[in-house]
Amino acid sequence: MKRKIPIAVYFVIGQFIAFFFDGSISQTMSGILFKYPNAMVPYLTVLWLILAAFFGNGKKLHLYTWAAVIGFIFDMYYTGLLGVYVFIFPLVVYLCQLVYQSLPPNFMSGFLVYFLGITVLVSLGYMANVFIGETDSSVAQFLVNTLAPTLALNLVLLTIVYFPVEALYRTHRQ
Amino acid sequence: MQKFFSSRKLVIVVICLIVSFGLMSLSVAIRDKRNTPPLVQQFGNDIVGFADRIVATPMNGIHHGFVSTKNLLNTYQENQRLKSKVDQLTQTQVKDQVLSRENKQLKRQLNVGNTLTGYEKINAAVITRTPSSWASQVIINKGQASGIKKDMPVIAGPGLIGTVAEVNKTNSKVVLISNTAENSNRFAIQVLGDNSKVVNGIITSYDSAANRIIMGNITSNAKLSVGNRVTTSGLGGVIPKGIYVGTVSKVTQDDYGLAKKVYIKPAANLNDIEVVSVAIRD
Repeated sequence: MKRKIPIAVYFVIGQFIAFFFDGSISQTMSGILFKYPNAMVPYLTVLWLILAAFFGNGKKLHLYTWAAVIGFIFDMYYTGLLGVYVFIFPLVVYLCQLVYQSLPPNFMSGFLVYFLGITVLVSLGYMANVFIGETDSSVAQFLVNTLAPTLALNLVLLTIVYFPVEALYRTHRQ
Repeated sequence: MQKFFSSRKLVIVVICLIVSFGLMSLSVAIRDKRNTPPLVQQFGNDIVGFADRIVATPMNGIHHGFVSTKNLLNTYQENQRLKSKVDQLTQTQVKDQVLSRENKQLKRQLNVGNTLTGYEKINAAVITRTPSSWASQVIINKGQASGIKKDMPVIAGPGLIGTVAEVNKTNSKVVLISNTAENSNRFAIQVLGDNSKVVNGIITSYDSAANRIIMGNITSNAKLSVGNRVTTSGLGGVIPKGIYVGTVSKVTQDDYGLAKKVYIKPAANLNDIEVVSVAIRD
């Protein structure tokens, strides 16, 4: 019988692919995503983590460790500003898992939880950047030009990825 | 109160916050003061950069294909337009050649060495872009090993797009001029005004809603009008003189009515960058 590849391997490889896709999508579609004055930022890395929190076994996958590791690499490679996403990623995963467990497990609650997760993620990222003077945009500008478009983009991405990823975890649960 | 502080989670949160703020301040301090990030960070970035190329190269290839197709569809119109410009260009080029030779001879005669205008270019490809709405950054595939240093200006297509912010061994981060951070992009630039009067100044901020670079604190009385060309002035630091930045799109008074504020339309399209060159002053 063919040996099954453990889900943890899929999880880690998918994690890094999602991480690099974030940058590549931002680069190749920058004309659409960062069209003035709006900014839509893809967060596939977080999407992958949160979906793992929804369907997978967080303990077996070492979910929080991986969230911190990928957050650290994100800080180091993409922004060059350490200590931001290394804490935000695990926090968002924790919050999402907490809320999702108290809701009926279906697409609508996933959608809702992810909506909240991205809001927390982007808002905390904004606060960190304001703190160090990386941005001077006001809260109103942030809400309209960054948070709203980013939410829209990421919810569309969630809708596309949700069912295939659920199927992947379901086949590995048996 | 007792129960509140004995909570283990709260202690973890507080420690995380302290570490987070500490790390942030540390990396800002390093970015502002040192020429390269710490060795560990450099090493990590180089490894991630290599891995990224596996994903980024096919993605950029696909994007390039789409752009090529789009260009193909516009070819006819563009060709018509360009044909009319070619004759003019040859003339300018020849004149340019003659002038630069004359310039060299005169410099030799006067015993003047390299001036502010001389620079060489290193070409690099863009690997990826920072997925963030605050840090307008791209990552390019050349670093220290190719002679790139911090704060060097980066050109794409017609004009300046930003400066090198962080240098690793094999890749570096370029902060675009559309970045709104307080401490980035203080280029020394000059406007060639009417009556060929030159107005010197620095870039003070960026208007992200209108995609305009703002040059503030100008006290000169020289008349500037829409369409005047803006270049780097070569004053202060490693940026050579004569790199095209953009054209003047609006001239207004600043908030107090004392100085002028000039809005500049950047020449390069900051949202479609595939290949860049880093300018190194001779």
